[in-house]
Amino acid sequence: MENRRRDVAVNAVGHAAKAGKTPAFERQRQRFFWLLLAPVLAILAVVTLLPTLYLLVTSFTPLNLANPATAWDFSDPLVNYRTLLTDDRLHNSFWVQAKLSVVTVVLQLLFGLVVALLLNMRTPLMNALRTSFLVPMVLPPIVVAIIWKVLYSPDISPAWWLFQLLGWNVQTPITDASWALTAIIVADTWEWFPFTMIIILAALAMMPEEQREAAEVDGASIWQLTWYITLPYLKGTLLVAGLFRLIDSIKTFPLIYILTDGGPGSVTEVSNYYIFVQSFSFSYIGYSAAVTMVLLAMIVVLSWVIIRAVSGGSNAQE
Amino acid sequence: MPRSKLDAAARRNRILANTIVIALAIITLLPFLWFVVMSFKPADDIFAGIDGFFFTPTLENYTSLWNDRFAGSMLNSFITSSVSTILALVIGTPGAYALSRATMKQERTFSLLILASRMAPPVAFAIPYFLVYRYMGLLDTRTGLILVYLTFNLALVVWLMRNFFDATPRALEEAAWIDGASLWKTFMVIVLPMSGPALVTTAILCFLYSWNDFFFALTLTRNNAMTAPVEVVNFMNYEGWEWGKIAAGGTLIMVPVLAFSLLMRKYLVAGMTAGAVKG
Amino acid sequence: MKRDDRTAAETAASAGLFRRDVLKFALAGSALAAVGLRAPAVLANAKPFEGVTLRGACFQHIFHTYIQKLLPEFEEQTGMKVEFDLQAFPVYNQRMDLELSTHGSSYDFCNITHSFSGRWISAGWLTPLNDFLNDPNKTAADFDPDDFVSGTQIAYIDANKQLHGFAWEAGAMLLAASRFDILDKEGIAMPTTLAGMIDVCKAIHNKNGVAAFVADRLHHWNFPPYLMGFGGKVFRDPPRDLMPVLDTPEVIEAATYYSELLSNYCPPGVLSYTDDQAMRNQLAGRANMRINAMSWLLPLAKSDDSRVKDTVRFALMPEGPAGGFPACNANAYGIPAGSNQKDAAWAFIQWATSKKTFERTALEMGGLATPRRSIIEDPRYKEALTINGQDIASMYLDVLERSGREGYMAYRTVPIWPQTGEKINKAIERIASGQADAATSMKAAQAEAVEDIKKAGVKL
Repeated sequence: MENRRRDVAVNAVGHAAKAGKTPAFERQRQRFFWLLLAPVLAILAVVTLLPTLYLLVTSFTPLNLANPATAWDFSDPLVNYRTLLTDDRLHNSFWVQAKLSVVTVVLQLLFGLVVALLLNMRTPLMNALRTSFLVPMVLPPIVVAIIWKVLYSPDISPAWWLFQLLGWNVQTPITDASWALTAIIVADTWEWFPFTMIIILAALAMMPEEQREAAEVDGASIWQLTWYITLPYLKGTLLVAGLFRLIDSIKTFPLIYILTDGGPGSVTEVSNYYIFVQSFSFSYIGYSAAVTMVLLAMIVVLSWVIIRAVSGGSNAQE
Repeated sequence: MPRSKLDAAARRNRILANTIVIALAIITLLPFLWFVVMSFKPADDIFAGIDGFFFTPTLENYTSLWNDRFAGSMLNSFITSSVSTILALVIGTPGAYALSRATMKQERTFSLLILASRMAPPVAFAIPYFLVYRYMGLLDTRTGLILVYLTFNLALVVWLMRNFFDATPRALEEAAWIDGASLWKTFMVIVLPMSGPALVTTAILCFLYSWNDFFFALTLTRNNAMTAPVEVVNFMNYEGWEWGKIAAGGTLIMVPVLAFSLLMRKYLVAGMTAGAVKG
Repeated sequence: MKRDDRTAAETAASAGLFRRDVLKFALAGSALAAVGLRAPAVLANAKPFEGVTLRGACFQHIFHTYIQKLLPEFEEQTGMKVEFDLQAFPVYNQRMDLELSTHGSSYDFCNITHSFSGRWISAGWLTPLNDFLNDPNKTAADFDPDDFVSGTQIAYIDANKQLHGFAWEAGAMLLAASRFDILDKEGIAMPTTLAGMIDVCKAIHNKNGVAAFVADRLHHWNFPPYLMGFGGKVFRDPPRDLMPVLDTPEVIEAATYYSELLSNYCPPGVLSYTDDQAMRNQLAGRANMRINAMSWLLPLAKSDDSRVKDTVRFALMPEGPAGGFPACNANAYGIPAGSNQKDAAWAFIQWATSKKTFERTALEMGGLATPRRSIIEDPRYKEALTINGQDIASMYLDVLERSGREGYMAYRTVPIWPQTGEKINKAIERIASGQADAATSMKAAQAEAVEDIKKAGVKL
């Protein structure tokens, strides 16, 4: 981003001055760039914009696959949006989503930060072990879900062997209304803390040494160093990493599909999952499209916030 | 002697930190290792509780799994992931270059479009794709999956490669132009060769995301194009969960991504942090 | 299959057989007589389907494994090749639902899951079979559709008396106690009423480390028999009046009863149990009683993994104040509307559900959850199903017949059942996990069900 900014400035001011650059060449260059860009924009439009438009149009019909007459029926275009306002299960799903997203993002930032700060000491042992922290993140999410299903199934879980040995009678959290969401949160945090960790590590690697060294010479303790120098430096990074995770957390699917199926009752049913059930189990396509539009709107707003935050962040660093 | 005291304290800290890191690494890896070990357990030992802790490893879960169907689904996974990755790179890289070098008023709009299509929940695309594929006969085809993977892969390529191009100096290109090389030739001969590492990074991530996809494969395929992650879930059959087979299947699915990630850790980390750390 | 080389005379002689009893209405108007003395053209040819590849989809079930073992003979005789796509039960239902909605031709035959039968048939996604049945060129005379026990067929007949499938499996709910010895020691007999069953549970729960009861999480299959036993109903009068009535005092009472059973007398974690997990608990002798379809209970006596072979006892499902309504279902083979090879598909279905095939799958291979009366009444079947001195075969037949006669399973075969069933499932989970009391939860289920049915465009 910084580079681009600088280049833009160079483009604007000094290009013509550089050897061999005529306005004609400049025009040719712009044409060439558009030529390169055109296929991407065209294909992106076809594979993402068109479907979104189709989704929008569908959201104004009561389309239900089991009832062909409902296709292209625009007699009551807002019916889905009205239903949406009174659908308690949907509202509950937004609430579940909010709880899941906020708690997992906070936990992932926390764990990611702690592990990154530790690993940043870069002892040989740590450099060797570093890769092992990446494992949860690169595993296929469906495998992660199955792994946790194993851990949460008393018949086969090593944890429950231990509980049995200790004589504890522990319920499995995935069927317990007050613990099911926690079970998902634990699994999700395990899966994604490595993501925040590597982002923080990358930022730490670029941290200027001078300030730290100066403080060290002044006799600051390791805690003081972390609190007064490292953390303020990481503020922007934490924000961005958190926002990325926040948006991704809206996509949580395999964990819920495998672990709880949205239950017990609806305590772990997030919006994404609710839409899936409505559209692909009961083929209420029109209604699902309307709910999806609402979700998309929320994501666009969040994405916009990210872009602002990222550009803002780099401004601050400049 | 404060100096040696300081050293001793530093050494103590290092030992403490090392110990904590070892413990954390074990905790992180344990669930995963347990799963892999389970894939080598005979069915009886899986349910045997603590008595099944020691067992004679067996490959029976793998051999019973390696029928035509699972092999076929692995092949589907492989083909759809690689083709989609290659397509996205071929189409996206020139575009990313242009976006990086050109001065365009619409830049922020493009960024938003690209970011949003990367961020959109799969279900937003799955519904319209499902409806359209019904009519086009693309349901349950590899082509259909490859196309749908472009929704996130293309955005990823543009996003990552533009970051890379932004960070590369333009001196070489400009020198080539002065020498009279055409714009296209400059791109092919100068720019692309120096993008090697970035292309590798991007390719790994695209492959990883496509390979790991579960949602699209679940909703847009039936059997012909079914990918390995869906096939593994399929082992939850009417007669119950075949844990041994599930573990073996899951292990096989993670082998390629794990191998990739570990061999190319540096690239992978570079790719994943690119978006967030530098913007 | 020796059908091919039968003579024309034989065919004609037995042609009259297949209009009878239950299916008479479904087959009325057959033009059999006109066809006279010709052998079924299709079946008389050697290899009439040479070069045809038939593709079918089903959920994974041992029966299809049996069929696949027998297939080579069938393929040899007809010349066609038959391929199966088998998927896990929940995955299969969801995907086949979507697949059928596309009217695609990827499958020539498929399993019709009982609880989706109403939805799939009423949407016109399946092929009516009457024309095939009525055509002696396409249907062998000894196929004898009336031989299927009525309870296994009613789900596949629509309002216009068109038949859409033939069962390959039948389910009849029974009660099995894996450790009857524990009851016996206390001097308790197998319970015959729901009230009595709770008393038994109280007396034996966690004695000898054995939970009194176990169930799986498919509450929309398990719970309605209790609901009806207490005098409640799912819909007011299915299939004509689909107004849900899930918030009546009877239903609330039944939900309270059933949830209590789950929370107080089952092993911990029961709410997440799949069919298989529940069965494993019984097989290992960790849980005592279970009420479910016979195929989930027979392994207690037949499986090599069973530690309770000698102590297992069976009984009819205990009755409630309003009577006994043991659930009955049947999964069937049908032909998707979009199939391009319907004749071949019918030839396959006819073979796979013929007496001869069932004789082998049920009597030789051990697939005892079979829908044909002639098999159930076979002495060899009776013998196989005489367990610890009890005659299970007649219990099984009793339940199949009762549900067919009384028609109380109609709730399960209406088009909007899948959605409504999901509401019931969630309602029970809410009660059993302590999130809501029965009255609140069932009232919510009622409101959700009504809302959902409106969304489906059904007039109430």
